Amino acid sequence: MTSLRSTATIATMTALVLAATAGCNRESSADASQPTVVLSLSTLNNPFFVELRDGAQAEADAKGADLQVVDAQNDSATQANQLQTADSASTDAVIVNPVDSDAVGASVTALNGSSIPVVAVDRTVTGADVASFIASDNVAGGKQAADALAAAIGGQGQVIVLQGVAGTSASRDRGQGFAEGIAAYPGITVVAQQTAAFDRATALDVTTNLLQANPGVVGVFAENDEMALGAVQALGDRAGTDVQVAGFDGTTDGIAAVQAGTMVATIAQQPGDLGKLAVDAALAAIAGDEVEATQSVEVVTVTKDNVADFAQ
Amino acid sequence: MTQQPLLTLERVSKSFGPVTVVSDVTVHVHAGAVQVLLGENGAGKSTLIKMMAGVHQPDGGRVLVDGRPVQLPNVHAAEQLGIATIHQELNLVGSLSVAENVMMGRIPTRFGLVDRRELRARARAALDLIGLDVDVDARVGDLGIARQQLVEIAKALSVDARILVLDEPTAALTRRETENLFRVVAQLRARGVGMVFISHHLDEIAEIGDTVLVLRDGHAVAEVPASTPEDELVRLMVGRSIDEQYPRGTGPVAEGTEVLAVDGLSSAGSFSDISFRVRQGEVLGIAGLVGAGRTELLRAIAGADRYDAGTVTVRGRRLRPGDVGAAVAAGVGHVPEDRKAQGLVLDASVNDNLGYATLASTARMGLVDFAGQRRRAEQVAGTLRIRMHDIDQPVRSLSGGNQQKAVFGRWVIAGSTVLLLDEPTRGVDVGAKVEIYELINAITAGGGAIVMVSSELPEVLGMSDRVLVMRDGRIAGELSAAEATQDAVMTLATRDVAPAQP
Amino acid sequence: MTSTLEQAPPTTPDRRTRVARFLADNGALVGLVVLCVALFIATPDFLTGRNLLNIGIQVSTVAVLAFGVTFVIVAGGIDLSVGSVAALSSMVSGWFFASAGLPGWLALLAGLLTGLLTGVVNGLASAYGRLPSFIATLAMLSVARGLTLVISDGRPIPTSPQVSFLGSDVGPVPVPVIVLVLAALVASFVLNRTVVGRSMYAVGGNPEAARLSGLPVQRILVTVFALSGLFAALAGLLLAGRLDSAQPQAAVGYELDAIAAVVIGGASLAGGVGRISGTVIGALVLVVIRNGLNLLNVTSFWQQVVIGLVIAIAVGFDVLRRRTRTG
Repeated sequence: MTSLRSTATIATMTALVLAATAGCNRESSADASQPTVVLSLSTLNNPFFVELRDGAQAEADAKGADLQVVDAQNDSATQANQLQTADSASTDAVIVNPVDSDAVGASVTALNGSSIPVVAVDRTVTGADVASFIASDNVAGGKQAADALAAAIGGQGQVIVLQGVAGTSASRDRGQGFAEGIAAYPGITVVAQQTAAFDRATALDVTTNLLQANPGVVGVFAENDEMALGAVQALGDRAGTDVQVAGFDGTTDGIAAVQAGTMVATIAQQPGDLGKLAVDAALAAIAGDEVEATQSVEVVTVTKDNVADFAQ
Repeated sequence: MTQQPLLTLERVSKSFGPVTVVSDVTVHVHAGAVQVLLGENGAGKSTLIKMMAGVHQPDGGRVLVDGRPVQLPNVHAAEQLGIATIHQELNLVGSLSVAENVMMGRIPTRFGLVDRRELRARARAALDLIGLDVDVDARVGDLGIARQQLVEIAKALSVDARILVLDEPTAALTRRETENLFRVVAQLRARGVGMVFISHHLDEIAEIGDTVLVLRDGHAVAEVPASTPEDELVRLMVGRSIDEQYPRGTGPVAEGTEVLAVDGLSSAGSFSDISFRVRQGEVLGIAGLVGAGRTELLRAIAGADRYDAGTVTVRGRRLRPGDVGAAVAAGVGHVPEDRKAQGLVLDASVNDNLGYATLASTARMGLVDFAGQRRRAEQVAGTLRIRMHDIDQPVRSLSGGNQQKAVFGRWVIAGSTVLLLDEPTRGVDVGAKVEIYELINAITAGGGAIVMVSSELPEVLGMSDRVLVMRDGRIAGELSAAEATQDAVMTLATRDVAPAQP
Repeated sequence: MTSTLEQAPPTTPDRRTRVARFLADNGALVGLVVLCVALFIATPDFLTGRNLLNIGIQVSTVAVLAFGVTFVIVAGGIDLSVGSVAALSSMVSGWFFASAGLPGWLALLAGLLTGLLTGVVNGLASAYGRLPSFIATLAMLSVARGLTLVISDGRPIPTSPQVSFLGSDVGPVPVPVIVLVLAALVASFVLNRTVVGRSMYAVGGNPEAARLSGLPVQRILVTVFALSGLFAALAGLLLAGRLDSAQPQAAVGYELDAIAAVVIGGASLAGGVGRISGTVIGALVLVVIRNGLNLLNVTSFWQQVVIGLVIAIAVGFDVLRRRTRTG
């Protein structure tokens, strides 16, 4: 009896929750004439992807498309499920920002089979066809960061590198670009490389620890702005004076830090542009137009000189 | 009987640490005969059975099967020799079907898959052996306890058991179910199966048994025919003067005031319409068979479980159902059946365990009164003679008797005046038993009242001023200390119809 | 016959078991000392005043979080939600300050209250709803993180000056260290001196015996989880103070650090055993390892291996401890 009753209770609650969330998500009801584009993001737990979504949303609204955004919460399995759900007649195109380039391959292959065009954004898809791949050039960005940091410290001294989540392509590419770029400055030595998992709080602790071991450091390169801001926090008054910090991503907080002088530079990806271009590519693919296989979105070195253009 | 026994335990002994539980006992199990083992709790019956089942190995003596000495290092070895034991806790998987349970470990397969048809057919054949008519596809958990027991017997026989050991098989059965079981036993006897039977129901012995081995304190006292009168069996079983072992006086000198009143207490499936009174200075014993609802009743009075109807009143104050805290505040103390699982926090110190009931009541502004608690604990540990190194040692390291005294001590510190004792001397050695009895006397002499549930009938008879007998969740009768004899109690406890209220 | 199977009277443990018991009871402390000596030898940067203060700051968040978890584990439960609750509490505090315009100290209070409330919900679900605490708090882990994202829309929120003060220094002493010490004293006081604290040990050791002794087990459980939520909120505010902002992704995965700290500190996941001092040591072990690996510039891949091994060893001690208890 009791188990029956609790089963019924659970079923009712589940139904209510589903109904409620369904109501939340479908703010704009889909119009049959509008093309439907599903945007599958690796996470919304990060301002970068929030800005990417906003850019995509603005473009979709402008072009009269219905954009449905799903968040995989950095879990490949969740993303696979969401892409499976998207694989339906009502979907006209899918924009995917993979949690993991390899893991997403199977899901995209299935979409290929249903002839739904797929556009990859920020991270590529391995083992399946995409209509277009839209990304910032992370390796080039790493080089630009090296140049900006080297210029700020006069081509001399010790620097430390804060790495992102070990094993991710963004961390690999930015690290590689920075290493290649900094090699051009024989006066600069990288004295420590440690991961801070793209996280501000972790970067605060790691930078504090690294400064202990390397008190003579004059520059910090962080593979994203969150970590750069953690490093700024760790440096306190020394940030922007004794020690120069360069970040990556050009997030709102990062831009503000450049404006305030605590960060010397950030490499602005333009997440809004990434989203905009992705929507354009998806709509072009739906229309059957020719789409470029790879589209790079310019990365811009943001320093004190041009920060005004980026500040909101 | 001149024929060779199927199984013989020859002059076996067994000790656990310093305690000898079986000493120089010989048991024969003959084909087509039922050997009854009779004795009080602690007499050594279970140990003997466990030797037959390969759970315990004798320290001295031999085990013979078909006249040949054998070793039974484990349960599997015993099963190989055709010895099957039906324990009180059945060895079945409730979520599986009858067929799967009967064929457990021997599920027939075809091409690596379960051969369902063969599985059902073989299980059906096993059930037919004892004339058990149940659906082989039914879930065992959905069957009643009696049918589950028969399924287990069928399972044992289907692996060619020649010797069937039944440990209190009727304890949880109704009269009808018991008769059904006895019919199966009679069939098996006719087929030449040798059986060992343990029961606390003396009336069943003449009905089912052939010979009776009476055990007392680990020794074989006598082997007598099953037709021996019950009085004689009891005399052999108890063997000593009850008066010496149970230091209870002749009851309350004067009529004390009523402290506990239970009226019309009912709980579906456990007990119904229970009413009684207990006065100051009185020990009320509650006798009855296992499953008669005694423990459930005691727990309901203590607030440990809820009940459906009725009231519990202590010194004129009505207790809220299912509220232990309220009962404790009203002066009720509960010494539960299983001290390790329900009475003590084994890894906590003796001091802590003595103080749980008074933790909140002695606190000031939510802060524990450590000094006072230690003082009280040391005092009560001295009074109760709890043997320990020091009061901060974990209660786990105490002996059973001293652990039990720690549970008592908790209520002594709390000043409880109504003590509910559930099997207060279970797992306690003889010396500590007497100390617990003296404690009971001291509590009643101090104006307390006691309700005691015990499966040791001599204890109930020896320590109670009045005895309530329960049967199937109802009060079957009330006896004064003078009226209460083994026979009188057992008659009430095993009678089919519930008599009128006392 | 089980009824006559008396336990042998207690005997003096021989030397081997005494050594084993000392190691088991103080394993974390021994481990911490060994770790510190090893780091002192390996790098001159380890044993400096500044670095020790850094360790003090870094340990504050995880230790305060772990104090709450200590209550829960002592009472026989588990709390997986503390990381998310920490983030939610700091975010609510930030939102009340930045968006609702509440005075800073009120916003701080609102953060603490948020933690308390989520804890009460966990407690009600596990004590009265009869959900295993693992499930109830797993649900809260997700709900609290989700609410954090809803409130913040995925963006950091600046914190009030009162919260930022938690990340600053008073003279030479960092405020997080002061908060850590105060929180340890309060937690230790609650656990050791108060009725509810002592009751936690009884409830964790044997809930049925506690109930039959008249202890209000369900109320105690609600209190336990409420305390856990409150300490999680404090940890979240500390973290926000150090970052001058409430981060939506703050404290992700910290619940595992907190549980690891409690277990390394000698608490038993079976309940009934645990001390605040042990938890402080457990948290220090985790933080000192990370600090040392940074100082030695060990690659991130190996760091995870090392931390995993330390947790495995700590749980091994838990097993050893239980064996010497019962054996």
